[in-house]
Amino acid sequence: MDLPPLSREQLAAVVASAQSPTELYSTLSEYESEACLLSTSDATQAELLSLYYSTFFFSHLLTDQICEARLSTKRMPQDLLQNDPSLQNCLNLLRAVWQRKYEQVYTILRALPWSEPLKPIVQSYDAHFQEKTLKELSRAYEAIRPAAAATYLGLDPASVEQGDPATMQKFIACGWTWEEETGLLHPKPIIEAPQDDTKLYNELSEVMALVGSRRV
Amino acid sequence: MAEILLHLTTVSSQLQALDDTSDERYDTELRDLIAYIKQFNRNIDSQYLLDNLSPSQHTLSYLIILNLHIETLQNQTKNRVPDEIKPGNDLWAKAVYFLRSFDPIQVRYAGHEWRQLVELIGQSAEAVAKPFLAVQVIREALLRLDSSGVLTSVHITFLRLSLISRSYSHALPILEKEMFRFPTSSGQAYRKHIERPLCSEDTLGDTFISDASGFSAKLTYRDHTSFFLYGAMIYMALKYWDKALHLLTIVISSPVNDSVSKIMVESYKKWVLASLLGHGKLVAPPKIISPHVLKVYQTLSKPYASLADAFERSDFQRLRADIDFGRSVWRADNNEGLVCQLFRAYNTFLVLKLGRTFSALTTADVARRTFTSLASSANVEEFVASLVMSETLGATLVHLHPHGSATMLRFSAPTKLVFNKEISMRNRLIEGGRALRFIANDVDQCSSELKLGNENLQLLSRNQRWSDTSGKGGGDSVGEADGGLDIEEDIMGDAT
Repeated sequence: MDLPPLSREQLAAVVASAQSPTELYSTLSEYESEACLLSTSDATQAELLSLYYSTFFFSHLLTDQICEARLSTKRMPQDLLQNDPSLQNCLNLLRAVWQRKYEQVYTILRALPWSEPLKPIVQSYDAHFQEKTLKELSRAYEAIRPAAAATYLGLDPASVEQGDPATMQKFIACGWTWEEETGLLHPKPIIEAPQDDTKLYNELSEVMALVGSRRV
Repeated sequence: MAEILLHLTTVSSQLQALDDTSDERYDTELRDLIAYIKQFNRNIDSQYLLDNLSPSQHTLSYLIILNLHIETLQNQTKNRVPDEIKPGNDLWAKAVYFLRSFDPIQVRYAGHEWRQLVELIGQSAEAVAKPFLAVQVIREALLRLDSSGVLTSVHITFLRLSLISRSYSHALPILEKEMFRFPTSSGQAYRKHIERPLCSEDTLGDTFISDASGFSAKLTYRDHTSFFLYGAMIYMALKYWDKALHLLTIVISSPVNDSVSKIMVESYKKWVLASLLGHGKLVAPPKIISPHVLKVYQTLSKPYASLADAFERSDFQRLRADIDFGRSVWRADNNEGLVCQLFRAYNTFLVLKLGRTFSALTTADVARRTFTSLASSANVEEFVASLVMSETLGATLVHLHPHGSATMLRFSAPTKLVFNKEISMRNRLIEGGRALRFIANDVDQCSSELKLGNENLQLLSRNQRWSDTSGKGGGDSVGEADGGLDIEEDIMGDAT
């Protein structure tokens, strides 16, 4: 309630100052009630709403809340959603992300027209989606055709087929290895930090002590 | 008016903290303040007072005056929800600001007014078809009040608004709090002997939210089951199948007299679907449900039983036919969305089942063996890859040649699966432990309260008379088991 009123300038400031996608999402969620009170019949307010809901939509995607992103599209004014080009792009993107249509995701992000204020967050999501996919590929594939990997990561499959060294170098930079005899790439799983076993053990001990101390 | 304002501002949460006023004195001051405000006539300049009181420091005064102001408007406009309280208007802003900043101690003295305001906020938001506006406000108000596991009618209103506004995840902070008590009964005689002042920091929600406090309307059996059904629906919308099953289990295993209620049957239907979507089969129904009740459920939800049978037998043709044939049933039961998800769940569990038999398969083999609607091998690979990449399926993929489409699906080694299972089990155990610790804190208190309840005291009193007249020395077994809990004579007197 102490937030400055919602405006195009304030939105730009929120996007620019957010330290992390989580912070961006959290700040934008607080504006949802205020957005609810704006009218879509007023052209200026409709424009602001389009920018707000599009940015809010991307903040969901940047925090990997795909299900919640879908629900946010159900909460926004439906007439605006149906008629606004940016929100229509968001809907198409949501469908592609939901169905894991990788090629489509990159096409929507890179080829569809996005308004100037949205471009930075669209580019952020492009990078985020690529990085997330890279982690998933590294875990899921033991061996992968370079062209398939390029499609997943939004790179040019044709240039990879022709053995473009620059693209291959990108894979190798991720720790992947290239086996020339088979013509396949071998991804290296990105191992995430294991959980703290001591903490888990202590918590389990506490549970057992609690169970043991209760009389039946 | 300035004199009234001065009087109203003498009791302030900030001053109380600074002066370190005793609980008893603060309690008396707050009760005197209520008596003082209640004698105002309705023509008082409430607008002036509202503009000069602080909702966080003069919570009690602010709340009662705000309610008086609203009541006057309602009487003037002959409208339960006057325009001034509708979203975007001045009174709405005042009410929202109050509910986000009230002092949770002072508000304990005005439960009825607090609930009236919360309910009005819900009605106003609904009146302009923007229930989402009320969801965030009521959630913050409930968290601020901290009902300590006590279910109130406001919780049910909140979940209903979350459902209709599709703000499911906004409901989680409330839904994930353990809810295991009803408002305490004010008719219990022992309460007046053990109760601390309402303003005491040690007085928890289970004490200050009683059936007479006004924080909750009278709860019925239907309210109780509605709360858990709404909660389950929220979890289902978010695809938290196990949590949804837990809440649905509470509803379908509720005690019954002769017949089951409609809400229980609805919950059973959703329980069948959540079982299939979350586990790929019907999970065992809780043993607490008596066989005749289970039979009633099965009789009243035959299309669902047929659906589950086709799903479990991996009979895709029948599953598709059943889904098409029962479309009007799913629609009438508001389960169409859940039923639509069965196709993908069917394919997912079919691939998962293959992992129990094979250690590796080509995607062409997967396509041949599953006989699903996924026509080509390429489609199957795309589907299987999505399962592997989202970690739904514990497996890896191997492209066999640089050209062509041959792909091997290699299921994870059993040791890896066991390791993953162990981690998941360990996390569940810890989660269960946290809930257990929370509930265990309350068990002793519930036990003492049951022993001190009117019913038990009357029973003890009868036993005492019986033992006196018969001349036999009957020991007080409750007193002994209680570990030295002393039941005084005067309490016995009050119980009669």
